[in-house]
Amino acid sequence: MKESGLKVVALISFFMESNNILNVNNLSVNLDHEKILDGVSFEVKQGEALAIIGPNGAGKTVLFRALLGLVPYRGVIEWKQGVRIGYVPQKFFVEKSFPITVQEFFLFKSPRFWMPERTFVAHLQHELSLVGLSKDILTKPLNELSGGQLQRILISWAMLNHPDVLLFDEPTAGIDVGAEETIYTILHKLQSDRGTTVILISHDLNIVYRYADRVLCVNKTMICHGKPKDVLNPKELAQIYGEGGFYHHPEKEPI
Amino acid sequence: MITSIPFETIIISLVIGIASGAIGAFIILRRMALVGDALSHVALPGIALALAYHIDPFWGVALFCVAGAVIVWMLERKTKLHSEALIGLLFTFSLAIGILMIPDTEILESLFGAFAPLSFPVFLFITGAGILLIALTFLLAKRFLFSIISPDLAYIESPKGSRWYELALFVIFALIVALGIKLVGTLLMGALTIIPASISKNISRSMGGYIIMSALLGGFIGLFGVTLADKIGFLPGPTIILLGVGIFAVSLFFTRKI
Repeated sequence: MKESGLKVVALISFFMESNNILNVNNLSVNLDHEKILDGVSFEVKQGEALAIIGPNGAGKTVLFRALLGLVPYRGVIEWKQGVRIGYVPQKFFVEKSFPITVQEFFLFKSPRFWMPERTFVAHLQHELSLVGLSKDILTKPLNELSGGQLQRILISWAMLNHPDVLLFDEPTAGIDVGAEETIYTILHKLQSDRGTTVILISHDLNIVYRYADRVLCVNKTMICHGKPKDVLNPKELAQIYGEGGFYHHPEKEPI
Repeated sequence: MITSIPFETIIISLVIGIASGAIGAFIILRRMALVGDALSHVALPGIALALAYHIDPFWGVALFCVAGAVIVWMLERKTKLHSEALIGLLFTFSLAIGILMIPDTEILESLFGAFAPLSFPVFLFITGAGILLIALTFLLAKRFLFSIISPDLAYIESPKGSRWYELALFVIFALIVALGIKLVGTLLMGALTIIPASISKNISRSMGGYIIMSALLGGFIGLFGVTLADKIGFLPGPTIILLGVGIFAVSLFFTRKI
């Protein structure tokens, strides 16, 4: 009886695991001999939205870079086989003097850079309309866009080939509150329409409450991992952001 | 056009000019204009060795330039910080060695280029190789640009490929420099890759336009530089460069607003 119970547990965990798009186990990152992340473990299920929160310098962006293979790490990062990843970086800067149009930036994803296929451009225009941009923007120089426009372009760029996972590193500056709202509405819609798994770094606990299925709190080590309503209580938040910390808009508090 | 220059020199100056302009577009964006300039100095010991062993200097130049490019590529990966100084050391070292080793009668030609008499097979080889390198540059343009604009995103799109495209950029550049050295000389060949792209960057609004314009300007400067040099009896290398810098100065008046 006991044995069959164990089997069921093993079977359930097998199914749960196979439903995971990402397993991270005991992840540590050292950069320039400084410990940035230490012993972080979590998993992400297919189709869920995981929010990563933590104060400035907690290692959130470094965690993303480790997941993408951009920095060396110790521990295990296991993506589901054949997974396709889209990434929206927190900072994206194109030098003012670079003559590159929005369309050319998208053409990095096209099989042909010179004389792109019509189907590609048509698909591109459709994808742009999903983030609320018209095709007129395609001929504009990439470095003349506003912060909000660039953000939408980056999302659209990351989502262009319908990736299985979107890693979204929220910008801390350059986006006003109204535009930020819209971004999350767009993300949410793309996620529900396409079943995309979303892992996002957020600085706004309101957003986390509304959009995330689960939360991972990081401050060099992993502090909590669970559903927003279970995790985001005053005690845990004090542990993440320090005593006398703040609940809302932690990045926007007066100095 | 009535001219005393052989047809071969006209074609070669055009092909070398286009190739230099095309690859130079990426070298400028990557902010390695000076590295490229210095790289051409590595050719000197190559010329010296080739002369000592009585083979065509092109092979010595090609070997040394490609080796120099691979060293730059490896240094860049090792450390972003000190490679500049190391590159400076390496290349001035080659310049010093080259000057001491090359016979006096050959030195001016090696440094500043000449209207070298070419056998027909050598002409065919330079032209063919030049056209091939131009085609490769345009074919790989997307990969080159992507890793210049955002190395991170390029890596994510193609984790295994991105570093090899970097190497390809360096090697194509080295080979174009090697092809051009006979005409323009080691001291000035780097400049021929920098000038067309600098002019084009001033006036272009898109990447496609920038690269094509840079290639065309390279061809124009090469061709008219050589013709002009022949008319007034100057060395081709310095004439090409002076013409290029002149056009650059004019382009400043048409710079797009940033």
